[in-house]
Amino acid sequence: MAKAREIPGFAESSSYREAAARAVQVRTEEVFGFREGVLDVSDIDRVHDMRVATRRLRAAMEIFAPCFPKKEHGRLLKEVKALADALGERRDRDVAIVAMETAAEQMTAADRPGIAHLTAQLREEQTRANGVVEQALEKVDADGLRERLLALAAEVLPAEGVAS
Amino acid sequence: MKARKVKGLDPDGALEANLRRIVAVRLDELRSFGPAALDPDATEAHHDMRIAAKRLRYVLELGEPVLGKPARHGAKDARTLQDLLGEIHDCDIGVPRVLNTIGKLREEDLATIRSAADPKASDLEPSSARVARNRRRYPGLESMATYLRARREVLYAEFLRTWTRMERAGFGDRLNGKRA
Repeated sequence: MAKAREIPGFAESSSYREAAARAVQVRTEEVFGFREGVLDVSDIDRVHDMRVATRRLRAAMEIFAPCFPKKEHGRLLKEVKALADALGERRDRDVAIVAMETAAEQMTAADRPGIAHLTAQLREEQTRANGVVEQALEKVDADGLRERLLALAAEVLPAEGVAS
Repeated sequence: MKARKVKGLDPDGALEANLRRIVAVRLDELRSFGPAALDPDATEAHHDMRIAAKRLRYVLELGEPVLGKPARHGAKDARTLQDLLGEIHDCDIGVPRVLNTIGKLREEDLATIRSAADPKASDLEPSSARVARNRRRYPGLESMATYLRARREVLYAEFLRTWTRMERAGFGDRLNGKRA
């Protein structure tokens, strides 16, 4: 799991609101920085990293909720949650498949057909979940989620501005 | 589980004071599940406690540069709890999933054996079960369900030890600044 990026100037923020802007800016960039290769089921760490980054962004948005305009914050949080849910469904299948593969190695030969059946079920679900992630990413792009999140951060920190 | 509302947050106030308010509420939230979680069958309380541990962990991780070492240790403890309860939850959803799969395979096999039999048969020989194409799948599925049940019990015992140890070591008091 990727370590959370440091938030420059966070501890020195002059207010809770200023820290909010810094946190949401960095956590937003973190999410989109992990986007490459997320749909590749042969490397399950990618979806995991993006999911963790999305959870960190969601947490930052919840922790700093009172600092942002309520309506736009609520709308964006809902969109971030939708992305996190899609990534989570894929991740759950990835983890379950690894667990089944480990079980198949450790259990007896008589047990393997049953484990293989469960694994095949999970692979089908993983493929479906990957399709949902693909749609979620397309929606995120179409709706300009990254840009709107950065704008939200910039809105509460107008003097300094936030790079888009 | 909906997060408890944190009252008195001030966007123009100091970051540290606001973070401490959030930590106090999230900590209370987590500890409120302690008594119910002592029941090994309280699966909902275990799940809610995991969510509460996750919320506390995230505020501590984010606030660590301001709240210092207690936040770092607290986040580590919260993560330990979250991970343990997460593995328990995986068992809780895994067992019904496997049993449901067994049920479906049985229905499939029942239909296969029934349709292979003479519609006018007055009885059925045990050899008719040979046409059941899922019959080799049951042992592994039964073993998996049993393994997941046993694993849950082991993980739950570990959770109890961890939670008791954390509470005895003043996990909450350290985070609230009542203990060094």
